[in-house]
Amino acid sequence: MIEFRNITKAFGETVIVQDLNFKINKGEFCVLIGPSGSGKSTILKMINRLVEHSAGEVLFAGEPIRSFRPEILRRRIGYAIQSVGLFPHWTVEQNIATVPQLLGWRPERIAARITELLVLLNLDAARFRNAYPHQLSGGQQQRVGVARALAADPDVMLMDEPFGALDPITRESLQAELLRIHAATGKTIVFVTHDMDEALRLASRLIILEGGKIVQSASPREVLEAPNSSFVREFLGKDDYGLKLLSLQLVSERMKTVDIPCSPEPVKPDDSLHLALSRMVAAKANRVAVVGPMGERMGTLFLTDIVT
Amino acid sequence: MMDTMAIALGIRDALRRFIIGLVLYLAILLALPYSTPIFSALFPQLERPLYQQQTFAKLVAAHVMLVLVASFVAMVVGIGAGMFVTRPRGREFRKIFETLSAMGQTFPPVAVLAICVPVIGFGFWPAFVALALYGVLPIGENTVSGLEAVSPAAKEAADGIGMTPIQVLRRIELPLAAPVILAGIRTSVTINIGTAAIASTVGSVSLGLPIIVGLNGNNTAYIVQGAVLVAGLAIVVDLGFEALLSRLSRWKA
Repeated sequence: MIEFRNITKAFGETVIVQDLNFKINKGEFCVLIGPSGSGKSTILKMINRLVEHSAGEVLFAGEPIRSFRPEILRRRIGYAIQSVGLFPHWTVEQNIATVPQLLGWRPERIAARITELLVLLNLDAARFRNAYPHQLSGGQQQRVGVARALAADPDVMLMDEPFGALDPITRESLQAELLRIHAATGKTIVFVTHDMDEALRLASRLIILEGGKIVQSASPREVLEAPNSSFVREFLGKDDYGLKLLSLQLVSERMKTVDIPCSPEPVKPDDSLHLALSRMVAAKANRVAVVGPMGERMGTLFLTDIVT
Repeated sequence: MMDTMAIALGIRDALRRFIIGLVLYLAILLALPYSTPIFSALFPQLERPLYQQQTFAKLVAAHVMLVLVASFVAMVVGIGAGMFVTRPRGREFRKIFETLSAMGQTFPPVAVLAICVPVIGFGFWPAFVALALYGVLPIGENTVSGLEAVSPAAKEAADGIGMTPIQVLRRIELPLAAPVILAGIRTSVTINIGTAAIASTVGSVSLGLPIIVGLNGNNTAYIVQGAVLVAGLAIVVDLGFEALLSRLSRWKA
C-alpha cells in the first residue's frame, strides 16, 4: 500500500532520514516508534506530503505520491494528530463532514456517514452532533478527530501520536476502539508513538527507529522475543520487559483443562498472561480459573506455567 | 440548551440595541429641522440658531458616504495585505509591513489629512485618500494578528485532510480570524467617522461643516448640532459592529 524507496530527507544541512526503505502492506497496523528525533513523525508526514522528501520515491497504491496533487492524495489518506485540530467554529457534524464535502458527496450520504461514524466511535449522536469542539472533553474531541479522519473511508490512516495528550484511562479505551475499528474495517494504519506499551498493544508490525534509520521491523512478539540490538532491548524497558512479554501471550497458550476451585476473579482464554498474573497476585493465589464467554469453566492457569 | 438560548439572546440583545440606536438617531435627524424653538430657547443671543446652509440629512449622507467609500477601500487593501504577508510567498514582506504600520499609526489622522491637501487639493478626494490611508493600518494589523492567532493544530489538520491553501484560508483561517479583523475595521471606521468631520476643513462636505461654521461664527448652536450628529453616528455604527461581532463569535459561547 505504501512503499518507501531510498528515501532521504534533509532540512538544510541536517539529515533527518537517510536512504530509508520499507513497505507497508494493505491492512497492516504499522506502528513507527522511536525516541524523539528519530524521524518517526517526519516519515509519517512524508506519506501525505505535509513534508516533502528530498530524494527517493514514496509509492502510494503503487503510484509515486508526487503524481497526485497534494490535496487529492490527502483526501484519500485519513489524518489524525495529537493536538486533534478540530475546527473550533464548526460543529462536530461539520467537522466530520469536511472531507466528504471536499469530495462532493451528496448531503444525504454525508449525513448517513456521520451517523455511522458517531456510532462507530461511541459518541451519542443526539448529544454531540451539533456540539462545538470546546464543549467536548479531550477524549471526545479525539474521537471526533478520528471520525473526521475516517469520514471519507480512506484506504490509509495516518495517526501522529493521537492519544498522547489523553489521560491513561481515556487512552486505553481509545486504543481498544482503534483496534476494534481496525479489525472491523481492515484499514491500513500507520501510527506514530513513543510509548512502547501503546505500540505493543496496537501494532501488527513495529518499525523501531533510531536516528532516522530502521533498527528492527517485526511483529511485537518477534521484537519482544528477539530484540536485535541493545538499543531495542533498552527501548523495550529493562525492568518490566518480562511483563511486556506476558502482555502479548494469551491465557489459552498456557492453561490446563483441569477444574479445581480457585479464589481469584476468573480470566478468559484470550486475556493476556499479564492480566492473569495480576489477578493471582491480587488474590494471593497460585492459580486462576479460566472461563468461557458464558461463564462456563474451561480450565485453570497455574502460576508455574506462566514462567515455564 | 441554556447555552444556545443565552447565545441567541446575546445576538438579539446586541441587535436590538443597534436597532434602537438607529431609530433614535433617525428620529433626531428628522426632528432637527423643526427644532428652532429649542435652540432659540437654549441660545437666545443667536439670530439664527439652526444650521440651514445644507439639510442635515444631506450632511449625514455625505459623511456616511465618505466614511463608507474610504473604509471599503481600506478594508480591501488592509485585509488583502494582511492575508498576503501571512502566506508563504509574502512572508518576506511581513517585517516591512509591520514597520510601516507601526510608523503610520504614530501620525495623527489630522496630520495625514493635512499632508493630503497640498498633494491632492481641496474637496472630497483629499479627505477620501487620508481616510483610506489611515484606515488601512488598524485593519491590516488586525488581519495579521487574527490570522496568526488561528490554532496551528487546526491549520495542520486542514492541510492534512486535503484542503487546498485557498480552502484553508477561506473556510478555516478567515472565519476564525474574523472577530479580530472586525475589531480592526471597527477601530478604523470609528476613527474615520471622527476624521471625516475634520475633513470639512479641507472643503469636503460632512457633518464637520456646521461645527466649523459654528466655530468661525461663534455659533455654539451649530457646533452642538454638528457634534450631536457626529457622535450619534459613531455610537450607532459602533452598536452595529457590536451586533455583528456577537454574530461572528457565536460558536465561542
